[in-house]
Amino acid sequence: MTMPRGIMSGNRTRLLAVVCVGIMAIFIVRLFYLQVIDHETYVSLANQEQLKRLVIPAARGEIYAMDAETPVKLVLNETVYTVFVDPQVVTKPKEVIETIRSVAGGNARDDLEKLVGKKDSRYQIVATKVTRKQAELTKKHKLAGLGFQATSQRVYPEAQLAAQTLGFVNAEDKGQYGVEGYLNDRLTGEDGVLQSVTDVSNVPLTIGRHNINQPAKNGDNIVLTIDRNIQSYTEKALADGLARTGATNGSAIIMDPQTGKILAMANLPTYQPAEFTKVTDAEAFNNGVVTRPYEAGSVFKTFTVSTGLDTGVIQPNSTYVNTDSIKVEDRVISNAARGHTGTITIQDALNYSLNTGMVTIAQRLGDGSQITKGARDTIYRYYHDKFGLGELTGVEVSGESAGRVISPEEEGGNAVQYATMVFGQGLDVTMVQVAAGFSAMVNGGTYYSPTVIGGVMDSNGTLKPAPIKPAREGIITQDTSTKLRQMTHEARQLFPPGDRPGYYIGGKTGTSQTLDANGKYRFDQTIGTYLGFGGSEESSKYVIMVQVSGKNMNLEGNIHAKPIFTDISNWMLDYMKLQPKG
Amino acid sequence: MSYQRTTTYTRHQGNWNRNQNTVAFASAVKLGPVTHTVLVALMITVLGLIYLTQATRATGYDYEAQKIDTKIAELSSQKTDLEVENARLTALETVRNSTVAREMTSPAATDYVRE
Repeated sequence: MTMPRGIMSGNRTRLLAVVCVGIMAIFIVRLFYLQVIDHETYVSLANQEQLKRLVIPAARGEIYAMDAETPVKLVLNETVYTVFVDPQVVTKPKEVIETIRSVAGGNARDDLEKLVGKKDSRYQIVATKVTRKQAELTKKHKLAGLGFQATSQRVYPEAQLAAQTLGFVNAEDKGQYGVEGYLNDRLTGEDGVLQSVTDVSNVPLTIGRHNINQPAKNGDNIVLTIDRNIQSYTEKALADGLARTGATNGSAIIMDPQTGKILAMANLPTYQPAEFTKVTDAEAFNNGVVTRPYEAGSVFKTFTVSTGLDTGVIQPNSTYVNTDSIKVEDRVISNAARGHTGTITIQDALNYSLNTGMVTIAQRLGDGSQITKGARDTIYRYYHDKFGLGELTGVEVSGESAGRVISPEEEGGNAVQYATMVFGQGLDVTMVQVAAGFSAMVNGGTYYSPTVIGGVMDSNGTLKPAPIKPAREGIITQDTSTKLRQMTHEARQLFPPGDRPGYYIGGKTGTSQTLDANGKYRFDQTIGTYLGFGGSEESSKYVIMVQVSGKNMNLEGNIHAKPIFTDISNWMLDYMKLQPKG
Repeated sequence: MSYQRTTTYTRHQGNWNRNQNTVAFASAVKLGPVTHTVLVALMITVLGLIYLTQATRATGYDYEAQKIDTKIAELSSQKTDLEVENARLTALETVRNSTVAREMTSPAATDYVRE
């Protein structure tokens, strides 16, 4: 029995319709699953493929020094390239090697044949620190398998000038030592972010809903107070002085006493910041002016005299009987320079650097014969609280040391301790502390915190001065300041100093013993120091402190440090265009 | 003198309000549902094409912007190189060793201008 044709046709059509609907239903369910239920997974996969997140590196801030009134670049950034090869892609190894050797020169690796021939490797560095011009020349050869990776490096056009003040940037792009270390965060800036859909060539496209464009914030361009001409001459004068004396180490600082700005800081031995990896003794990285506290010796007598004058217990012509030694409790303190015995003035004591004179001042701060607790409190108040000795000055150079001035409240802060402190022993101070305190003594009595930051260079190339650090006014009276300047001027004239006539220069020598491993003073190793100011009778224009030392060497302030001071001082008079009087 | 009404009345006459059009033209062409569907599909297609054109144009601008960015980066790099070169040429050591500096002589005597 056969079905009628019409009925058969209707069943097939219905069957086909059911099958089609069934297939469509499968598609719909599958699409629903992919597009709705599993939506996030596929969006995420697509983003991974198309959405790129690129870091926009912030440029490290540059460092400027002053050239009189004009800022000049002392540290810059330069883009250099690391050249690498993919040995599996290289088709003309000989040509690659010849090109790299001829273009990169000394920056190419020695074993190029070996590196290019490593067929089991995909990445071999063949040259480093290649300049942009060299990279462009290499690219012109269109050699397969060669790649370039741009990096930024610090450039020091003035070579080793102010090396310890600047510091350097290590392989991890982190500032080390000096200003680079202290102001690393400000100099680094903040990297930006570019998140965007990109094409196959990594070109960012504006399509997409998750694009982010956060520009990089470049580091601050710091302008130092360091004057490159003064710095250069100071380094030269110090090197000449060391060559003359045979000393192996030397440091110098020059400050503007009217502002606290540091104009130069020099330390020898030094190093080239661009070649910091070649330095064998890490001590060369330290800026000894701020990091190495020491017993300053007799230059410290200016602080004691200043304290005595300001409290009114002495005048320059006040007298005492000098017997070349003085007893403090169970100890006898003697003069280094003997023979100026009898009734002499405090001015004489300063001229001949007599320890007995300073102990006498300390006793007069007490009851006249003892360095009482009250006397010690007064001395500590002047040294520590007013002149800022034994505490961080806040100078913007990494690794500053606070030093130590023992308080009368401490166990060791007794009369004997203070009897030695008043002539520069038994306390540790840095040169920057001493120079800053002395600046206050010769500027009329205002303590300015020492600084190396003059300001910031904005994007238009305009210098924005740094905010002025708070000053401590009136730490000593104007009268004390004037008298101290006169006294140090007279002390300097005692031995023919070689100053230019018509100027008002003052200073004080210092020769300090060093301590051995057991904490005992050595007589065969002394540090020579000179501390002074220059300018006119009306105003001090600069303060200079010089220190020379050497292993197993007896170096004296008057013989070894003073000539360096004089050299720099005479040059400063010309450089600052100061007109002589008379 | 007499006035004559000029307004043409249609089948709406007697049911019009102020500011309403009082003339209506009925088209002789009648569009069926298929035509409407095709027209809507065409409009959607045109709109899609417009969107695609604009999107492509925007992407084209991206490539232009990328070229300009690359050029800026290149010029900036050249500027940096020149600044480095300038700093090296004006460095104290370079100036000190220059021919001009080497040919300078020290004055026999110096004096100051008195005011």
